[in-house]
Amino acid sequence: MTWALVVRSLVRHPVRTLLVIAGIAVAAALLLDMVMLAGGMERSFSRMLLSRGYQIRLSPKGTLPFDSEAMIPAITPILEDLRDDPDIEQVGPVLATSLHVSVGDSLLTVVGYGVDPAAQGLYELESGTDLAPGDSTGLVVSEPAAAAAGWRLGDTVRLQGRLDPQSARAAVERVVVVRGVVRFLYDARGQRSVGADFRLVQSLGRQPDVDPASMVMVKVRADDRVDAVAERIAAAHRTVEVNSVAALVVQFRSRLVYFQQLSLILATISLVVGVLLVGTILTITVSERIGEFAVLRGIGVRRARIVRLVMAEGAVLTGVGAIGGVVLGLVTARYLDAILTSFPGLPAAISFFVPERTAIARAAIAVFVAGVAASGYPAWLAARAPIAETLRADAE
Amino acid sequence: MSPFGVLALLSWLLPTAPTFQQLPGIAIERRLADRHGLSVGDTVLLTPKPDRPAARYLVEAVYQPKADPATALRGEYQIRFHLPELARLLDAPDRVDRIAVRGRPGVPPDSTAFRLNQPAFGYRAYPSELIAAESSRTFAVVSRFHRAIGVISIVASAVFLLCIMLLKVEERRLDAAVMRLIGISRATVFRAFVLEATFVAAVGSVLGVGLAAVAGALTNWVYRRRFETSLVFSHLSVEIVAFGVGLSLLLGVAVGALAARRLVTARPLALWRRAG
Amino acid sequence: MSVVLGRDLTKVYSLNGRQVAALRGVSLTIAAGEYLAITGPSGSGKSTLLQLLGGLDSPSSGRLELMGRAVEGLSDDELTDLRLRQVGFVFQRFHLMPVLTARENVELPLAEAGVGRRERGQRAAELLAYVGLADRSDHRATQLSGGEMQRVAIARALANRPALILADEPTGELDAATGAQILALFDQLHRDGVTLVVVTHDEHLAARVPRRVHLQDGRIDRDELATAR
Ligand SMILES: Nc1ncnc2c1ncn2[C@@H]1O[C@H](COP(=O)(O)OP(=O)(O)OP(=O)(O)O)[C@@H](O)[C@H]1O
Ligand SMILES: [Mg+2]
Repeated sequence: MTWALVVRSLVRHPVRTLLVIAGIAVAAALLLDMVMLAGGMERSFSRMLLSRGYQIRLSPKGTLPFDSEAMIPAITPILEDLRDDPDIEQVGPVLATSLHVSVGDSLLTVVGYGVDPAAQGLYELESGTDLAPGDSTGLVVSEPAAAAAGWRLGDTVRLQGRLDPQSARAAVERVVVVRGVVRFLYDARGQRSVGADFRLVQSLGRQPDVDPASMVMVKVRADDRVDAVAERIAAAHRTVEVNSVAALVVQFRSRLVYFQQLSLILATISLVVGVLLVGTILTITVSERIGEFAVLRGIGVRRARIVRLVMAEGAVLTGVGAIGGVVLGLVTARYLDAILTSFPGLPAAISFFVPERTAIARAAIAVFVAGVAASGYPAWLAARAPIAETLRADAE
Repeated sequence: MSPFGVLALLSWLLPTAPTFQQLPGIAIERRLADRHGLSVGDTVLLTPKPDRPAARYLVEAVYQPKADPATALRGEYQIRFHLPELARLLDAPDRVDRIAVRGRPGVPPDSTAFRLNQPAFGYRAYPSELIAAESSRTFAVVSRFHRAIGVISIVASAVFLLCIMLLKVEERRLDAAVMRLIGISRATVFRAFVLEATFVAAVGSVLGVGLAAVAGALTNWVYRRRFETSLVFSHLSVEIVAFGVGLSLLLGVAVGALAARRLVTARPLALWRRAG
Repeated sequence: MSVVLGRDLTKVYSLNGRQVAALRGVSLTIAAGEYLAITGPSGSGKSTLLQLLGGLDSPSSGRLELMGRAVEGLSDDELTDLRLRQVGFVFQRFHLMPVLTARENVELPLAEAGVGRRERGQRAAELLAYVGLADRSDHRATQLSGGEMQRVAIARALANRPALILADEPTGELDAATGAQILALFDQLHRDGVTLVVVTHDEHLAARVPRRVHLQDGRIDRDELATAR
């Protein structure tokens, strides 16, 4: 009976009801997008950094990983020291440098990564075979690099390093064979990159004599030991910057305050819009029907029931609106994500809007609760109306 | 990345003991001066890397850098050196990052750049416009994002407006019935209601512009303080105001007309009955 | 036991700061099974009195007992429950729920009283048959004529077998013939032992009612029993 009353009252003004639901859906969609935006980047950043299980990064002092062309010199003793640590499972050095290959009569510049094939947290194999440990003539390439250079698996490639800007001639050259196509986890969209043995890339890069590395990735055996290990490494090697992924995420977050605040403000606004919408519409429909509520009270319907009736209307409106909002929000999030991920230089693995069950549930529940709360005022209006007076006024 | 970024500043202030030997001079930005209590005449120690020896400089000037969104949100400070001093500090004599070239009037920058690139010894020349376009790509993305969010907000507020205007007119059901029953023509009733809707929409728009101005001012105030910059974060342009007011007027009048049409085309007695 | 026991009832409304005395000391006792008409000029306080008798409003002063319970001490929920189970209202303008069907309108007070679905449907069907609307039970309230609406309203008033039926000008909006049908229904209710109080301007109606109470300026100036009927 309650539901018959609620649903038919809503159907009585179909245009109005549909508009309110549409309004709530848009507000809920915006809220969902903002909830996803608030936590999404951070989570996708952390997921990206942890995607191969390396929880600690060593980088040149004063920089973040890949922040510049700075290098850690004399890396070998550091690596040996790290490998001796019983808490550490794997140690993966990385050296990034510009490499060149001749394609036709022009020179193609690619980002060359030197890795230890036995312990690399930098890429994932897409096709072909991975570099084997100790393989000093193998090359893995990113899809865009392969496309730009026209490489296929098994092709022989002459990698050139240390280009002299004056003469446009390379100082060193190494012959390698394309073993596999890989996806480099930290590359920007369309970035042309290749990966090869760490020592090989060292020999092709700048200042080979200083034994450089751009970064070292460290995998700790037990997750709860990460902070302790990071502290220990930092104490032992004062010339490098040691960061756990958690600490990097914190730094990343501080760079994204803008989005956080934007999402907070817009989320608040969308909630306010939702609340206003439900509150206004229900207040108006209730005052239109105040006579009906007085009659209900007159024939013996309790106040609590009247409150429930009106709040149920609010719940139906916001419930349907919230469901529509989730769908709409997921669609718009993909569109918004496509916009933001076109930031120049952003790793392709980063997403700003990560559709997670908790985010969706949180947004939907927030809209629902706010909407039902907003129907509290009209519900109170309806329940509180003095019966005799309202009936008399209604009869006039 | 500019060398300023890597430059670690160690601002050990010496007690203002007068120094007689001639120190190299630098200019520091106001933010840095304010934050660390530096002023003209102070001496600072600067080093390009924490483990390298520091050199002593004299603050000769404090300046306000031009507001630049690309750097405003970073925490870094700027210091200006005489070129040879910086080269000496970085131990990179005879090296520059960039050279600014001004062509003779009338010569198109594109052709100059092309000519400069012909020998291509260790540099590349770009027209400034190209660099500006390139470096504003980030902001282009942000502004596309803002526009998308703006569209969503506009849809939300349009729906809201539609609802309110619809109700506003429907509220007048009984009045419409009375007016029709006492013999006022449909057209007149229609015009009266559309006029009323227009008025409501107009007043609402004006209030909305006021609200936007306040919110914008607040945003600017908060972010300027936060990032210590004179950048404009929220700018209420005439076009935006015109767009907002125009849209809400249009929607208001359209919905008012729609709802009013429904009222005047219904039989007056039916209105009466539904209103009762 | 008397169904209504009122002593020195007054009702004062304040309207824009002015005090309007609608009732100025009404004492009235109604026994079970009585059929009573309240008459009087417009503004004499008939509707006001009826609202007090039905617990829709409370008196400004005086003492009122309904079914032996003092109204004064009742909480809002208790008073609501009293209206639900002991009193049935019939309004001049019917006041049905427009979105519900005839049957649902009758079922509404039953549902509120916690009657189960099946019993509810059965009782609503019986009541609609009693008021002669068995074939209209699935019509929306708005699809019924005035007379039909009033009959549904009477069925609704009877739903929880109340001790007292209160009707405020039940024929006021109906034509003579339809009004007569409603009055016939009231006669039948009276014969079935229901206590009935009807406010009316209708001399016809008043003439056929056993007891007539006449109000003037918020006071009872006549309370007469018809000698014969
Ligand atoms: N809510 C109220 N506020 C102010 N005055 C009221 C209110 N209700 C009733 N009155 C006044 O109380 C007096 C009695 O009203 P009531 O409705 O009881 O008269 P009535 O006898 O039912 O009249 P009618 O035959 O026209 O229905 C009238 O003067 C009326 O104006
Ligand atoms: Mg009356």
